[in-house]
Amino acid sequence: MEFAIEGHGLEKSFVKKRGFREMLRRPFAKAERVEALRGVDLRVRQGEIFALLGPNGAGKTTLLKIFSSLILPDAGQAKVAGHDTIHENLVKRRLGLVNSDERSFYWRLTARQNLRFFARLYDVPGKRIDSRIDELLARVDMADAADRQFSGYSSGMKQRIAIARALLHDPEVLLMDEPTSSLDPASARRLRQFILDELNGRDGKTVVLASHNLREVEFLAHRVAILVEGKLRQVGTVDEVRHWGVRQDRYQLTLEVETPPPGPFEVLEREEVAGRHRFLVGLEPPAGLPQLLDLLHAAGIAVFGCDRVEPDLEDAFSRIVDAEDGTGKGE
Amino acid sequence: MGVLLKLWAFIKRDFQSEVSYRLAFVLQVGGMFLSLLAFFYMTGMIDPDAKGLDGIRPFDWMLVGLSFQFYFSAALFAFSQKIRDEQVLGTLEAMLVSPTPTSLVIFSSAAFGFTYGAIRVMVYMAFAVLVFGVELYARGLGAFAVGAALTLLSSVGLGILSASFILYFKRGNPINLVLSGATTFLGSVFFPVEQLPEWIQPASAYLPVTWSMKIVRGSLLQGKGFDELRNELLILLVMTIVLLPTGLICSRFAIRRAKREGSLVHY
Repeated sequence: MEFAIEGHGLEKSFVKKRGFREMLRRPFAKAERVEALRGVDLRVRQGEIFALLGPNGAGKTTLLKIFSSLILPDAGQAKVAGHDTIHENLVKRRLGLVNSDERSFYWRLTARQNLRFFARLYDVPGKRIDSRIDELLARVDMADAADRQFSGYSSGMKQRIAIARALLHDPEVLLMDEPTSSLDPASARRLRQFILDELNGRDGKTVVLASHNLREVEFLAHRVAILVEGKLRQVGTVDEVRHWGVRQDRYQLTLEVETPPPGPFEVLEREEVAGRHRFLVGLEPPAGLPQLLDLLHAAGIAVFGCDRVEPDLEDAFSRIVDAEDGTGKGE
Repeated sequence: MGVLLKLWAFIKRDFQSEVSYRLAFVLQVGGMFLSLLAFFYMTGMIDPDAKGLDGIRPFDWMLVGLSFQFYFSAALFAFSQKIRDEQVLGTLEAMLVSPTPTSLVIFSSAAFGFTYGAIRVMVYMAFAVLVFGVELYARGLGAFAVGAALTLLSSVGLGILSASFILYFKRGNPINLVLSGATTFLGSVFFPVEQLPEWIQPASAYLPVTWSMKIVRGSLLQGKGFDELRNELLILLVMTIVLLPTGLICSRFAIRRAKREGSLVHY
């Protein structure tokens, strides 16, 4: 199978900036380096929405920049649609980058003038430029506002133009760095739906997005990678990552009693709701729900509610980031 | 063809951006006329037999220096200033993720500066001929065209060299600092180098602008042709042969290093 994105043993470090005082004190000292990526192996399948998660400084943007050929790795190999990023022209024809920086456009020009300029850089044939721009402006719902100066657009409109720009040359792969970070909730939701239905669903594009928004990732991504201090801690489907390190099945029980009887479960949270008591309990296999219900029944305790609680990505993210290593020492 | 279309796209982009500041655009043209008027009266105080003028009327001599100064400035500053602007604006990254080679992005970024510089030269010349009665010789146009082309290419070499510094060091560009000072002081732009102390005069021979000025003044104002300007043209050609590849090699090195360091779009 050909992968849309491949990284093998990617390493990258940057020179740490020295202060003026430090330079005067030790002018010939070897510059310190900060490791941004430490042997990252990554494969993104064609047609997949793949999310890169990680705390600030984890190396997500560095990774995207390596795949965009903006940065050369110190070691390892990066490929886009089967082409090594060393052959940047081949790679750039197959890749579009959407970043959250509104200033990556010429604010004194209109959206259409901006797109015409970038269409030339993306080698869109002259005869097709205007029709391609019209088509994209319609798709991102900007056709009516295309001839206004860029500086007058809202953040949501600017982001839609950024997507139109990245699609000018109809790339196979789209890299998106925090695509909804500056948008209001309604605009962010519309954009997520557009990515899911149009870019991935209709066009079949591979989308790699770096995000801090875990709900967005749960909504969009087929697979997720969690990057911590330049290393990939976990890669898997959203469901696999959610369950990483979870050794207990969790249930929310609503009971009449204040204290449940002792049994093979752990009470994780409790609260009183409308005169009844709600418990979040964790059951460690092989103990199961039938065993728990039998126990409560034997003790004569009425059960008013029992719901399975799925682990969420936010908890999993914290477990993975806080874990000493990526080998399953989470919760 | 693709390269030319891209070059045109850069020129169009900067033109659209420039004319969006309508008042500034109009004022600039008005300012050009006023500066010429001021120079016309100022040069009236200069002795026409002053050393180094070679019998050329002081106003005409100054006019060529002034108008071509814009051209050299465009060459020296357009690349580095534009790259720096694009880094700060955040548009450089957007251009560099396109399939257009980085070197072409750098080169094309200055295209408007050069075009605008050339248009300014023509506007100055038109004012000079139509309003101030300056006489230009058609006989020297061939030598002038070759000289202007060599001036352009040698300036591109210097400009790209200067942009390489910006790409790598971001700020603090010794090439611009040294060259803009040296050009103004030693390049016979605003006054003949013969007016300076003798010991410093030989330094002017190392500046392309010195030879460009000799060619432009000689061809346009004295009607000199290829034969009379052969030495000046040859020297400028040699300088171009050295400067242009040096600029290109340095820019390749700077781009590679900046990509390795991860600082290509930083500022």
